[in-house]
Amino acid sequence: MDAPTLSIIAAGVLIGGVAGFVMHRADFCVASAFRDLFLFRKGFMLRILLLLVISAMLLFDCARHFGWLAFYPFPLAGAISPANFIGGALFGIGMVLAGGCVFGTLYRSGAGNFPAMLAVVGLVIGSGLYAELHTTWSAFARSFVLYPGKSTLPQILSIDPTWLVGPVAAISGVVLYRWARAGLMVKSTAVEGYIQPWAAGLILALLGVVSWMVSGMPMGITTSYAKGAAMIESSLAPAHYSSLAYFRTTPLDIVLPSGLSLCGGPGATLDGISLVQFPLILGVVAGSFISAVSIREFHFRLRIPPAQLAAALLGGIVMGLASRMAPGCNVWHVMGGLPIFSVPGILFTAGLIPGAWIGGRVMTRII
Amino acid sequence: MEDYSAFGRTVTIDIRGQVCPASLLVTLRKINEIKDDIQKNGARLEVLTDNRDSVGTISEAAFNMGYDVGTEKRDGGYMMVISAAG
Repeated sequence: MDAPTLSIIAAGVLIGGVAGFVMHRADFCVASAFRDLFLFRKGFMLRILLLLVISAMLLFDCARHFGWLAFYPFPLAGAISPANFIGGALFGIGMVLAGGCVFGTLYRSGAGNFPAMLAVVGLVIGSGLYAELHTTWSAFARSFVLYPGKSTLPQILSIDPTWLVGPVAAISGVVLYRWARAGLMVKSTAVEGYIQPWAAGLILALLGVVSWMVSGMPMGITTSYAKGAAMIESSLAPAHYSSLAYFRTTPLDIVLPSGLSLCGGPGATLDGISLVQFPLILGVVAGSFISAVSIREFHFRLRIPPAQLAAALLGGIVMGLASRMAPGCNVWHVMGGLPIFSVPGILFTAGLIPGAWIGGRVMTRII
Repeated sequence: MEDYSAFGRTVTIDIRGQVCPASLLVTLRKINEIKDDIQKNGARLEVLTDNRDSVGTISEAAFNMGYDVGTEKRDGGYMMVISAAG
């Protein structure tokens, strides 16, 4: 293995490890951010998410000005279509049912949580299901594409991103400052080794820019779940696997400044996608595991009410399907897309709101 | 598991391993179920959880409903004791 390949693997494990550790300590739950607004009228985690997005916005734009980002916007930022919103809404339902988003279910799995592990299994199943619908769905998405070839608001408006970043960051900065002064950005809790979510948010923003600099993209992991489904299907039902066009797509095709070429897609091979995403996934689980063990909070318990287990599995399936339909998950769109005013990111996030509302209604009924 | 002591009974719920928002919803439901007992007869509700987020949210919710909440770490999880204020 050559040095650029090794360094990207090491960087992935490291970035994921820090993310997993910090998210476990802060219990950084994006699913609850949207859900609790409706369920308990609590906006705490949404305020923290705003802090994360604005910090990432400033970091990404600085990195761009310094010439640290080889690609801008990042590859796979995506086409603008109603699929982004529909995917976001479905994803919102799924993450509330699953009790965590794609990162949430991963870090909770790392801490031994059984429903979260089922949700991860669901994510793989849902991503595999998408392959069955891909031809129809992508035809639908393609026929409604707006501004072909463009992904971000600055691209559509033909302006330098800083013209948007400046005012938005300034206004949000004032709002965040007021919230902080009013004590609305901190949470009091008696748990051991707590990391305040605002600090976790800043660290995640920083990890996002490091990921972009190192791997050419912000953090994302869900294509790997489709790849997982592809690997299982190709060994269990090879004929059916080869009939699915989705697994032959290779949306990623870039060459990093190190000379490393990253190509790949959801197919059942080790490629650019697995090189970037597998280490990240491993890192998140390992980081969270280390965090949990170090404060004696690793637990694996099977005795969970069956309705919750069913909700977790179903939520995972819905999230997996939605993340391929959008395409992209909440981490990709909220922590990567929103900070660069990516329109798919904005539409996906807008979709999360009604999705989380519906998910909350369903959840309160089945518990 | 219900233990009738001289000071009022103690009701324990074990919600370890449960997902959000079930932890909070189950606890709130239990508080409402036995609220008269807590307020009039000095009963206490013990909640055993391993969900880090729930420790904060359950304490906050119970506190806002006018109860006293004590938290201690136990068996790698957290035991919260919800009782009448004062």
